[in-house]
Amino acid sequence: MEYIKSFPVFALLIPLMLSFAMPLIKSDRTIKNLALISSASSMALCGLALKYVIEHGAYKYKMGHFEAPLGIEFQVGMFECIMALTFTAVTFLVVMHSSGRIEKEIGSRNIQIYYLLMNIFYASLVGMVFTNDIFNAFVFIEVSTLAACGMVVANSDGRSIVAAIKYLVYSSIGSGLVLMGMAFLYSITGNLNIEFINAEIANAWQEYEKVVLISMALFVFGLGIKAAIFPLHVWMPDAYAYANNTSSALISGIGAKAIIVLLVKVLYSMFGSELVAQSGLLKVFTALGVMGMMMGSVFAIFQSDIKRMLAYSSVAQMGYIFLGLGIGNVLGLAAAMFHVIGHSVTKALLFMSAGRLAEGAGGVSIEKLESVGARRPVSLGLYSVGALSMIGIPILPGFVSKWSLSIASIEAGKGLLLAAIILSSILNCVYYLPVIIKGYFKKSEGAFDGIKFTRREESQIGTLPLVVLAGIVIGVGALSGDIINAFSFEFSKLM
Amino acid sequence: MERLIANYVEVCAIMLFGVGFMTLLMHNNMIKKIIGLNIMDTAVFLFFIAKGYISGKQAPIVVGKLEEASAYINPVPTSLMLTGIVVAVSTTALALALTLRLHQKYGTIELDEIIRLREA
Repeated sequence: MEYIKSFPVFALLIPLMLSFAMPLIKSDRTIKNLALISSASSMALCGLALKYVIEHGAYKYKMGHFEAPLGIEFQVGMFECIMALTFTAVTFLVVMHSSGRIEKEIGSRNIQIYYLLMNIFYASLVGMVFTNDIFNAFVFIEVSTLAACGMVVANSDGRSIVAAIKYLVYSSIGSGLVLMGMAFLYSITGNLNIEFINAEIANAWQEYEKVVLISMALFVFGLGIKAAIFPLHVWMPDAYAYANNTSSALISGIGAKAIIVLLVKVLYSMFGSELVAQSGLLKVFTALGVMGMMMGSVFAIFQSDIKRMLAYSSVAQMGYIFLGLGIGNVLGLAAAMFHVIGHSVTKALLFMSAGRLAEGAGGVSIEKLESVGARRPVSLGLYSVGALSMIGIPILPGFVSKWSLSIASIEAGKGLLLAAIILSSILNCVYYLPVIIKGYFKKSEGAFDGIKFTRREESQIGTLPLVVLAGIVIGVGALSGDIINAFSFEFSKLM
Repeated sequence: MERLIANYVEVCAIMLFGVGFMTLLMHNNMIKKIIGLNIMDTAVFLFFIAKGYISGKQAPIVVGKLEEASAYINPVPTSLMLTGIVVAVSTTALALALTLRLHQKYGTIELDEIIRLREA
């Protein structure tokens, strides 16, 4: 069974290697199949690795059998495997959904390059989740940013070029800060492996307190820009709103989430929970989280474009995640990480179904979506599943994470945060429900025009990936107890 | 003050970083932004390589006979920065490509003008 240990590496290598073959292939059909095969195998390998970890416990994979401080390691534990499985599963479904529609979104000229970028993008995220080497993580961050920029401009719209430039500029600032933080850290620890740095910091941090704190601030600020935490989110709404639907589903679903996973590893595995608790960082996270939850929702209410609305909703959801990090106990962290999973599957579902709705209504403006339920009943139903999860209806993952966050904040003696969570949920209702209500119940003239044609289109394979994704959303909600327990167990070792 | 003079390379690097950071953030012209990005990256390279340098030691390249490890500087930061340079070059290339596309679409590379054009 020894060979299963190298599966996480192959989950990264297969999409990466296949992506280099793509520009050589002429047939679009073959390229789509190749993208589908690589994401499916990546997902299967992550799943098998998770099964192995559950049975045999966590392990470290040494690249090329070089021992740790010299070679690069992969940390393969329960947390990493669950995250990688979520990201690759979302990717697989997005790729499957895109295969019939990508020509409509970006034209037929750039298909090879588009799938190449997509493969590189999720491969780098898988690498970011597993890696135990901080410089390696930096390279993966950069690769994912460049690939995401390419995906944003794929539809050759003028606005999407400006959006991609904004994204690139902010990301470059973020990665510059992360690299600087790494330089400070390297100068006092002389290591790049997360565990070795942790051991060195535990010995030496009192001597170099300021350097360690500066480096921590640089890491948090740099990764915060990329994760779009509230005041640093300015690049996000444009990038999500003007990209084509497939790109926005993929980037919003998994792009920013992998950065959060890395941030948790940097803070708790590398700096250590003691240092994090002493640095006052948790208060900053709580404050920014609450502000993000409120302001993101308030901005979302005033949007007239459904994709922009979903993008601002992502700002609010990032607020929940940072609130969970800021609570500072094991359950809070586990709930935040569960929210990463829940939001990842839900937001991908929402963006893809919103894309279908906009197609049915002939525009992305929310006003045009009135009575779209007659033309696209299935898509609107799937959108409703996602929206209800965001609002926090029981069984669905949104409810579970809000519930766990509430319990965690009571445990930590920060009862006031409950008010913020409830208020933010109400704000969520204000902007998610009107689309559903108007879509299904509002009567308008001309709503049934062309319905004969759309019926047939609805029954094609097109919505199958979305139905599966909605099933996964419900499944994640149903399995929430196990996932949160697994995360709590993992994090209780770190805190 | 003494500490600043003793660590003059690091001080220089941080100052350069600030210059690059502000240029990247404040200017509306895309080319100036890209120049700022490169200054910022170079500052980090300088900082990293200064950390690996030990005065009086050789570069870790074997010419003739192999000497003891203590005769060479620390090669790790240097090799890390090789990767860093590759990353910076690819970011610059992508930014330049986007600038080109921007110019084709709007006929200008000033971001504030583009925003004005779009609103009009």
